[in-house]
Amino acid sequence: MLVFLGGTMLSLCANASAPEDAATARVLVNSLGRPAPARTAFAEARFLKLLDQPLVVSGELAWLGGDRLERRVDHPNREVSSIADGEVTQQREGRPPRRFSLKRAPQLQIMLDSFVALLGGDSERLEQAFAIQHTVNDTKRWTLTLTPRDPTLLRTVSRIEIDGQGNEPRCMRMQETDGDLAIDLLGELAASMPVTPTREALVALCHGG
Amino acid sequence: MQRRGRLLLLVLWLATLAALGWMVSQRLRISTDLRSFMPAPTTPDQRLLMEQVGEGPGSRLLLLAIAGKSDEQLATLSQGLVAALRGDPRYSQVLNGSFDIASLDDRLLPYRYLLSPTLDTQRMDAAFLRDELQQRLEDLSSPAASLLKGLLPRDPTLEVLKLAERWTPPTSPEVRNGVWFSAQHEALLLVQTQAPGFDPDAQSIAIDGIRRAFDALPGHQGATLALSGPGYFSVLVNAQTRAQAEWIGRISTVGFVLLLLLAYRSVSSLLLSALPIASAALVGIAALVWLFPEVHGITLAFGFTLLGVAQEYPIRVLSHRRAGEDAVQSVRDLWPLLLTAIASACIAYAAFYASGVNGLRQLAVFTVTGLLVAGFSTRYLLPYLLPERVRDVADMRWLVATRRFVDALPRPRWIPLLVALATVLMLVFAQGPFWQNDLSALTPLPRDLLQRDARLREALGAPDVRYLLVLASSSDEGVLELSERIEPAIAALVARHVVDTVELPSRYLPSAAVQRERQQKLPARDALQQALDEALQGMPFKPGLFAPFVDDVQRARESPPLTPARFAASPLGQRLAAMLVQRDDQWLGLATLSGLHDVAAMQAWVKENGGAVRLLDLKDAAESLVADYRARILHALLAAAVLLVLVISFALRSVRRAWHVLAPMTLATFLVLAVERMAGVEISLFHLVALILAAGLGLHYALFFERDTGDAAEQRRTLHATLVCVLSALLVFGMLAWSSIPVLRAIGLTVSLGVAFHFCLSILMAPHARKD
Repeated sequence: MLVFLGGTMLSLCANASAPEDAATARVLVNSLGRPAPARTAFAEARFLKLLDQPLVVSGELAWLGGDRLERRVDHPNREVSSIADGEVTQQREGRPPRRFSLKRAPQLQIMLDSFVALLGGDSERLEQAFAIQHTVNDTKRWTLTLTPRDPTLLRTVSRIEIDGQGNEPRCMRMQETDGDLAIDLLGELAASMPVTPTREALVALCHGG
Repeated sequence: MQRRGRLLLLVLWLATLAALGWMVSQRLRISTDLRSFMPAPTTPDQRLLMEQVGEGPGSRLLLLAIAGKSDEQLATLSQGLVAALRGDPRYSQVLNGSFDIASLDDRLLPYRYLLSPTLDTQRMDAAFLRDELQQRLEDLSSPAASLLKGLLPRDPTLEVLKLAERWTPPTSPEVRNGVWFSAQHEALLLVQTQAPGFDPDAQSIAIDGIRRAFDALPGHQGATLALSGPGYFSVLVNAQTRAQAEWIGRISTVGFVLLLLLAYRSVSSLLLSALPIASAALVGIAALVWLFPEVHGITLAFGFTLLGVAQEYPIRVLSHRRAGEDAVQSVRDLWPLLLTAIASACIAYAAFYASGVNGLRQLAVFTVTGLLVAGFSTRYLLPYLLPERVRDVADMRWLVATRRFVDALPRPRWIPLLVALATVLMLVFAQGPFWQNDLSALTPLPRDLLQRDARLREALGAPDVRYLLVLASSSDEGVLELSERIEPAIAALVARHVVDTVELPSRYLPSAAVQRERQQKLPARDALQQALDEALQGMPFKPGLFAPFVDDVQRARESPPLTPARFAASPLGQRLAAMLVQRDDQWLGLATLSGLHDVAAMQAWVKENGGAVRLLDLKDAAESLVADYRARILHALLAAAVLLVLVISFALRSVRRAWHVLAPMTLATFLVLAVERMAGVEISLFHLVALILAAGLGLHYALFFERDTGDAAEQRRTLHATLVCVLSALLVFGMLAWSSIPVLRAIGLTVSLGVAFHFCLSILMAPHARKD
């Protein structure tokens, strides 16, 4: 059912060529794998209903092996969030660390699931957590659309789209159920974050504008 | 009596018993609260103990551990269990480490500004708000965003989370997947029951509810739920004791029936001789139902044991009957002695009434009523029903031989002196403390359970069950104020590592005075709006986003301070409700302590504080209570002993004869005490009760052996009756002596030893045998 829904959603949203079969998705995911620790620069823009303007931060994402992930923000304020053992620890300069359960941060759970699977080249794990839709824009560019299988996660995050080129992911777009959207530019593309980003401009950037 | 008349009497008797049984079953209410078996407290500490034993916050705490699955699945089970138990009136608090904002009543939500100490050091001005909002922006771009998004418009300063932090137990276990976990991969929970900890029945209902809720959770298969805590232990001990007592009881009943069949070779005699005992038990319970609103379970258990003495009355009647003699005539001959025996047993048991303990008073009423009923029905009803033709036991060949052997025993006069000397020496040289004051030593728990309890308690930072800090004041508000006053001193004690944590009532609810102070610091609507607008300058928040916040602050400003009573009505207030108790015209705040390392330092601090704050050592108070208890029983027994001497001297019309009855009984009683002491047994209340039972039995043996009928056949019948009594008592109590539960063992061993010693000494010290 979820796979079907995801598929329908994708065929409505993506102006892409015909969906490839699961086997090519698997080959793609396997090709993305790299040894831990794997680090990549990121720049993120969040479009929130609470706010007039998007929030932009940048830093480094790191997969430390296993289920351990670190998100370091360097700009505008330093902050390190790390995930280990289902717990999130958030540290800011001059403040006591804040801890909370991964269960209460669904976005993070999804990021963990997708990131660890992608960086580990673990297509099986990815398929366990998500219904996957794989589309190819031209010979090298592709988009993976992931729909969470866990109904509680699906209540907060409706889907996550990862755009890439060759064996490099370039973008991660997380669409929340309440309409909020987070777009992460990854690797080299992180440097291209505009000063005042808009949703459309970033989506175009991800698709390889 | 005619055959028809006999049948009518039997039917009437049985019908009366059935009617009585029905009435009792309709009206009997059994209580299991151990407190009604404790004496009236005399010191303030004892009084508090009596109120708090089982009801103090610590003793109502159950520790739960779920194990056997992956952390994630365990966390889901833990959350599911909490959801199922919260809102159930049987539990006043359910914690698993996750803080649920929903548990703070929506109407109470504005009170967060009065409950949280933020405003004590901070003005709610533009600078403060700007700093907070800046942090919220960072939060929104962080992984915590989805956690806080919904909260933000109403609570931009996150007061709710500050309260959550304040209310989490200070030393809490590691949180994984949102819930507490132990180092052994168990999801941990704390449940506080409404039921007192030492009421096994009420606790068993509460524990049953938890197990049922757990079994109803999806995915619970494969996971195990382990419980610990005082309430769980009281249920466990109760069930264990009951199971073993029943098991032993069944075996000894079969043995007893076989013994009587062997002794009298008559099924009808056996069945009929059960009637006086059945009547005794039923009338005894009826008397209790009539006199007391509730009957204690222990009263019944002990009462049936003590009624065992009454089985002797029908046995005497059966054994002493001559061939061809009318049963009525035979009982008439026996009656003066039987009456003395009944009267003396009643005197001994009446001593329990003088103890002033409710449970023991019930015991006295039950046993004395029972003995009288058993005695008088043996005298006035039973003989009319007994079969006309019986075998005279006096002619049995083995009995003749035994009597001859007994009579031939040497009876030097120095035997009592030697026994007395040995007894004194043993009592003097026995090692270890004489009295066992720790009642829990009699109901020990398996070592692995205790270890698990200690481990869970440490992991959960659960408070000591032993110590309690008691704050006294004239009102509940006064207690909160006192609690606030001592907060700095407690913090200093914690810093000095005297104690790890003290959970004060003011942690949950500040006094009205402090709430009013905080109210005054809250800005008026216009001022707040202005400060907020200033703070929001240049920030991307949508205009008007924080209107709910401004409304809440105004509500907090205008509402009357939150009272303990109102707070207690909300789910979160239950914790506070358990800590505040009203007694007469006083209010007490009960603060639990965790990890009390330096009792002396704590006591010194308490002393400096004068009378308002006290450190209550529940163990100390309980032991002093037990000692008081014992003193009362001993005094009552002393009075009973004096009365006994008078009654027996009067009944036998001779001090010398009374001496022959009382001397072996007294000697045997002290001999039991001495032998148990030599064996390293510390004497507890249960030993005392058992000693009294044995003494009652021994008194009967001595009374009958002392009787000089001048008739060898009658002497043989006396021996027969006594042998049947001794063997049946040894059978029943000897079985109990093998029990693994110390309470049962204490009773079984003491009575068995007592019966043996009483029997031997009353034979050896019987006066007339020497004359033969």
